Amino acid sequence: MNPRELKISERINYSGIFLIMRDAAQKRIQDLLEQKKVLPFDLSGQIVFYAGPTKSLNGKVAIGPTTSERMDRYLKMLFELGVVATVGKGKRGELARNLCREYGRVYFVAPSGAAAALSEHVKKIELIAFDDLGPEAVYKIEVVEFPLIVAIDSEGNDFFALENYRI
Amino acid sequence: MRILIVDSNEIQERLTEQLFYANTSVSEFVKEQIEKYDGPFDDVLRRNIVVAQQTGLPLCQDTGMIEFFVFKGYNIVFTQPIDEILNEAVRRVYKKNPFRYSVVNDPIFERKNTFDNTPAIVHTFITNQEYVQIRFLVKGGGSENLTRLFMLNPSARIDEIIDVVVNHVKEHGAKGCPPLNVGIGIGGSSDKAVVLSKLALTRELNEQNEDARYAELEKVILNRLNQLKIGFQGLFFGITAYSVHIEHAPTHIANLPVAISFDCYLCRKGVINVEPKRIENI
Repeated sequence: MNPRELKISERINYSGIFLIMRDAAQKRIQDLLEQKKVLPFDLSGQIVFYAGPTKSLNGKVAIGPTTSERMDRYLKMLFELGVVATVGKGKRGELARNLCREYGRVYFVAPSGAAAALSEHVKKIELIAFDDLGPEAVYKIEVVEFPLIVAIDSEGNDFFALENYRI
Repeated sequence: MRILIVDSNEIQERLTEQLFYANTSVSEFVKEQIEKYDGPFDDVLRRNIVVAQQTGLPLCQDTGMIEFFVFKGYNIVFTQPIDEILNEAVRRVYKKNPFRYSVVNDPIFERKNTFDNTPAIVHTFITNQEYVQIRFLVKGGGSENLTRLFMLNPSARIDEIIDVVVNHVKEHGAKGCPPLNVGIGIGGSSDKAVVLSKLALTRELNEQNEDARYAELEKVILNRLNQLKIGFQGLFFGITAYSVHIEHAPTHIANLPVAISFDCYLCRKGVINVEPKRIENI
């Protein structure tokens, strides 16, 4: 995926890998970096999905985005680690817009409150690190035709800032 | 005096069923609204209802922290402490089903997941009715973060109250997975107002306030919210709010607390009424 080719309000169906992290996992990464420790996984080239999956049922997990604005404080860290895009729900702050522009990265929104339907797009889920965090651990998932909308593009344009905008 | 004894097993069994149902099925009202919606992700939202019902996977991965409102007759006795009864019901449902454990034991220092979704939040109200009513909300963290308390001046005009609610939804509503059910608690003390705003969320969607003045205020606020055009998922398409409910209480002459709580578009909640099993005279 070339993030620079994507423009706000564009809809795509993504097939590939997401790394799943939310508040607690990113806080732990920050702590590890501060202690100059090596991270137990590589983030370069990855797309980070802000989510916390449910327990699985016959290999299926219900999953969906959590509020991205809470993660703005870790976004610079993720981009520095090579993350190419983030996925979540809702409007983000000015900081996130500026960082997307500065690093040429994008922010997608995924359907929220639709975890059962999205389980059909998850092919595989694998625990990567921080298993003590339970649903807040880091997971790698393989998805097929996962529906996304570009909410902040690599020029820092914000879909949510456009009042009365219609897709 | 008549003492009415309510069987805790019956409460647990019925709550177990209702908590599962609330996480996997939407009400007819919500279903109709989702069917009417034809904006971004509409196909996914419709498919979600079908998959959750067929598989038992939850509608939303945030299966919430459960908030209970127990209305108990003053002469009713439970066979176990009510908090234990309710937490056991939550534990059973969340252990058994493919839901998410979303509760941590300590807010700052440990933040260790309790791995059974307990403890639940329990509010108890003593009534003079001879049965127990338990209402609950499956309260997601995203919408819960948007709860606000505003301590207005007692002389605030009605339009100032309306503006406080509308401005809050304008600023933050998109983060709560709209269309929203909006609960407003007015009066009491600061803490009471917040509880009232939650209680307002337990009402039937679009149930009219019994006080015509408050019913009118609910209508005015709902119209104003829908003029914001935040839309489903905050993507500017479809309605912003399903309904607005106000609960009010007497307050201090110096105060006018206004609390706002939100429920997301799934409006996951339930209610059970339990009759006493045995009556004893003492």
